[in-house]
Amino acid sequence: MENMQAVNNFVAAYLKKKGFKEAERLLEDLQNKDSAPIDFHNDPELAKFIHRFSQSEDDVARYQDGYSKLRSWTYSSLDLYKHELLRVLYPVFIHSFMDMVAKGHLQEARTFFNTFREDHELMHSRDLQKLEGVLSQSHLEEMEFARSLRQSKVNIKICQYSYDLLLQYLHKTQSTAMLGVINEHINFQVSSGQPSSLSDDAEVVTLIGSFQDAANQINQKEIHWGLLEDSLEERMEKAGSLLSDSEKTEEENKEGDVDETKKRSVESGKQGASTKKLKKEKGLNATAKSARTEASTTPAAPRVKSKLPLPLMSTEVEQSILEDLRNRVQLSSVLLPSVSFYTFLNTHNGLNCSSISQDGSLVAGGFSDSSLKVWDMAKMGQQGGSSILQAENDSTSSEHVVGQNGGKRSYTLFQGHSGPVHSATFSPLGDFILSSSADTTIRLWSTKLNANLVCYKGHNYPVWDVQFSPAGHYFASASHDRTARIWSMDRIQPLRIMAGHLSDVDCVQWHANCNYIATGSSDKTVRLWDVQNGECIRIFIGHRSMILSLAMSPDGRYMASGDEDGMIMMWDISSGRCITPLMGHTSCVWTLAFSCEGSLLASGSADCAVKLWDVTTSAKVPRNEEKSGNTIRLRLLKTLATKSTPVYSLQFSRRNLLFAAGALSKNM
Amino acid sequence: MSIVAKETIEVIAQSIGINNLSDDAALSLAPDVEYRMREILQEAVKCMRHSRRTVLTTDDVDGALNLRNVEPVYGFTSGGPLQFKRAIGHRDLFYIDDRDVDLKEVIEAPLPKAPLDTRVVCHWLAIEGVQPAIPENAPVGVIAAAPNGNTYEQKDELPVDIKLPVKHVLSRELQFYFDKITELTLRKSDSALFKEALVSLATDSGLHPLVPYFTFFVADEVSRGLNDYSLLFALMRVVWSLLQNPHIHIEPYLHQLMPSVVTCLVSKKLGNRIADNHWELRDFTAKLVASICKRFGHVYNTLQTRLTKTLLNALLDPKRSLTQHYGAIQGLAALGPNVVRLLILPNLEPYLRLLEPELLLEKQKNEMKRYEAWRVYGALLRAAGQGIYERLKIFPPLPSPSGHAIWKSKDKVVTAVPNKRKANMEPLEDEPALKKIAADGPIGSLVSANSLSSVTTLALSSQNDAGSSEKMAKRIGKDGKMLKKSVILNQIWKDDLDSGHTLVTLFELLGEGILSFIPSPEMSLFL
Repeated sequence: MENMQAVNNFVAAYLKKKGFKEAERLLEDLQNKDSAPIDFHNDPELAKFIHRFSQSEDDVARYQDGYSKLRSWTYSSLDLYKHELLRVLYPVFIHSFMDMVAKGHLQEARTFFNTFREDHELMHSRDLQKLEGVLSQSHLEEMEFARSLRQSKVNIKICQYSYDLLLQYLHKTQSTAMLGVINEHINFQVSSGQPSSLSDDAEVVTLIGSFQDAANQINQKEIHWGLLEDSLEERMEKAGSLLSDSEKTEEENKEGDVDETKKRSVESGKQGASTKKLKKEKGLNATAKSARTEASTTPAAPRVKSKLPLPLMSTEVEQSILEDLRNRVQLSSVLLPSVSFYTFLNTHNGLNCSSISQDGSLVAGGFSDSSLKVWDMAKMGQQGGSSILQAENDSTSSEHVVGQNGGKRSYTLFQGHSGPVHSATFSPLGDFILSSSADTTIRLWSTKLNANLVCYKGHNYPVWDVQFSPAGHYFASASHDRTARIWSMDRIQPLRIMAGHLSDVDCVQWHANCNYIATGSSDKTVRLWDVQNGECIRIFIGHRSMILSLAMSPDGRYMASGDEDGMIMMWDISSGRCITPLMGHTSCVWTLAFSCEGSLLASGSADCAVKLWDVTTSAKVPRNEEKSGNTIRLRLLKTLATKSTPVYSLQFSRRNLLFAAGALSKNM
Repeated sequence: MSIVAKETIEVIAQSIGINNLSDDAALSLAPDVEYRMREILQEAVKCMRHSRRTVLTTDDVDGALNLRNVEPVYGFTSGGPLQFKRAIGHRDLFYIDDRDVDLKEVIEAPLPKAPLDTRVVCHWLAIEGVQPAIPENAPVGVIAAAPNGNTYEQKDELPVDIKLPVKHVLSRELQFYFDKITELTLRKSDSALFKEALVSLATDSGLHPLVPYFTFFVADEVSRGLNDYSLLFALMRVVWSLLQNPHIHIEPYLHQLMPSVVTCLVSKKLGNRIADNHWELRDFTAKLVASICKRFGHVYNTLQTRLTKTLLNALLDPKRSLTQHYGAIQGLAALGPNVVRLLILPNLEPYLRLLEPELLLEKQKNEMKRYEAWRVYGALLRAAGQGIYERLKIFPPLPSPSGHAIWKSKDKVVTAVPNKRKANMEPLEDEPALKKIAADGPIGSLVSANSLSSVTTLALSSQNDAGSSEKMAKRIGKDGKMLKKSVILNQIWKDDLDSGHTLVTLFELLGEGILSFIPSPEMSLFL
């Protein structure tokens, strides 16, 4: 009997050491249940089990064998549970492969990998491409992706019955290698009841690793996504209700409006046809008014205080913004926006990024030859007369800027970077431009002086993206050095450094209330950071490839992210969950933009199209998901194809005119 | 085990001077090389994405190497994607065709064109969610409209209400535009508004969806309105404007347009009133035909041959009326001097024989007919003259060779001219009706005086020529470079000789009238 106990302890200890919690638990259960000591000598099954264990510790063929058996068993399992069991295969596959590599059986690992990779090609081609390069133990250590996989567990939601099926199978066939892999790397979240539906697949398959737990924890944190108190829009609404009480004042105001808009249109001349456009907007104004009053009766977004000291706004600027707000076209699924497209010609494959100012009058392009070029679309129409004026301005500009040589050039050339310019952004008022470059610096330029003002050094690697905050003054940058940083214009050192992504931070975007920034990364996650304390407060998991673009809804409730495969995901910021994937693009989504009142999302892609999505219905989906499962993907409102011009940037003006820009590429 | 073979590693090692690389080392290096390559590629793809591209370039690889703090590979920068060639005998071995470049060639080559500077242009991609049909936008509507138009035209031979199918494929604005233009063409073709409409047709972008309808409209109206001179002229003007429009691809509809255009050129009767100046219409249409051939001749290589065949048939058929002949001659003449020389000149003699009786007062009593005949004669004269003028004009004004040629040709002229000319001159002088044709009359009499003097100076000029050719020989001796020139000169002489011959025959056939087309320097040589 004592002997028995010793054996039991030995087995338990062994299982513990090997990390086979499942088996350990089973053993314990067994012991507890019938409390009858296991007869080691008389139980041939167990003997064989243990025997196998000790004997073939490094037998690589077990992996190959075990996996192929598990695979064929899974494929022949019950249809109802099949898709759940199939999810198990991929982690088992990659970990078996890495185990084999780790044990030094490189040749076998390679054949194993090549034999079964096709199964997972569809869902995980990018991961497989990365793993394919792992050819020795040292590579496992070196490669960030492999390391994070090794260190973490995969969460798989599975229903009780599938789980039982799997365990039964594993015990029956004694495929200890598979059992080992499963125990070591998969964390089953067993749920009672029916197996989950197929559509959930996308959520589960992302292998991000241990931070699944951490992410869940992080996503519990409190977030105040509401809009800023006392914003102009809010004041507008209040003022609007006041005005509607006294008709007379409104009429007076309106007359003033007309004059003012006329003046403005002459001045800024939003590319030629503006007067026409304005008239059209005016016409729609009446309907917009009524819609707005309706909107104000619905529960408005909660208001929060800004955690940052925000710059003050001059009254003139305030007036012009209010003016724009008053003239805003109310967009909806039936009233689509007008889109003005800026096409870059003769870029010779050198255009890396483009940016459009808030009012669409300035267009900037960042080029791979380190230059930043800015076009003034308002001056475009009156080219002839302006050249002399330009020349006068040139004499005052600094040596950084090569101005227009007697009107020969249609743009202002900003030179200063020493590497390809990867991103450019206009300040909300259009008087500054920030550009980020592969030379690791960010430069601030003035569009009034046509000069470089500041060079911000801080990143150690190329800066992929830079974005002004909605209020100006502050800006955020994202870099290959895996950090995102917050800066203010008046300091050359960053104010905050956001570290946490496991790979390049590819894009960055401010939340509407300036208290948060979102970053998209090559590690396929989007994170939300608190600007005040630099903490990560949300992780959004679901993309299957590098994230290229982000957009925040103006009400602060939603976020959209676009990736390399053409997938766009709409996230609920407060819950950290994906509301719905928006599928339609076939290539990289370079840019996303919400319309000013948040009812539409525009996306621009390398497949030469601008797509318009209905946000309002997509946001409603989670509520009636059960009822109408199939209507989820019906929210693509319109596809606007361009003439072989990939769309690099999109920008809604305050009046809801959509500006888009892209470079004409003939070899597409 | 690695995709990089052991042998590759050995070859690379040898290329950098390591000859005794052990097998083991190569074997363990191979996977690492593969891993590094993958690593660089992964970074390169990131660089590519951040340059907003979907094609990997050498710049991206350089960028990736920079990210890893590795010296980039120099000498492979290129603007576009590289052209890989498949190695012969290997299925998946590719290489870049890297030719040896002769430095001298590069230096001597003319400077390449400076690349165009970057520009930004602006257009409406959508107006309130609807894409306008402008050339800057991807042609969604055009694809839908064109086949519809075609099937419609094939099905309905009879004139039916055109508006009906228009409604389905055209925007309301375009439809309205079409209605307005057709109305103007039919009713108010002499108004200023119609001129504006023509300008609009010639310049507006976004008219493409209307092209099939305009084509049908023109074909339809031409077949119906052959008696209405002004309508026909207006229609031809519409066609002309459409052809001018750079935003329209009219090629697919040419085969429908051409019959109606050619009809306006060689139809027996255009317009029913005597006052209708159908000659002018034919001239205009000839110009139109020529411009079509010039623009689309290279796309449709059968276009010009078919056209010339039609016209030549019309010209050579004696049963056709003179008006038809006139149109055919004008059409051929407008196609250029080459066509004239190839097709008109050989047929000139027999045709003139046919025409002659019509010209004479004694034989053709109908004044109208006679007038027509003279008109045709004038057209012929002009065509032949222009052909020969172009010919002579292209010669460099070198005095010696051309003088020589003329001298040679004159030898024959001496024998031929006097009696022949007299034969021709007599009816000319006898014919007072000739004076009606203002262009021909005075010139004819004027030139006759000239040519008389030319005969007298003949001996003189031939002497001169002999002297100049001697000079020529001396010049060749002087300068080595002149040798090359002499080859060209020989060619020119030959050409010149030919033209000299043609000139002579022309002169024989048409008399002095042709002389007015010979450019003055040549003329002076002639004298």
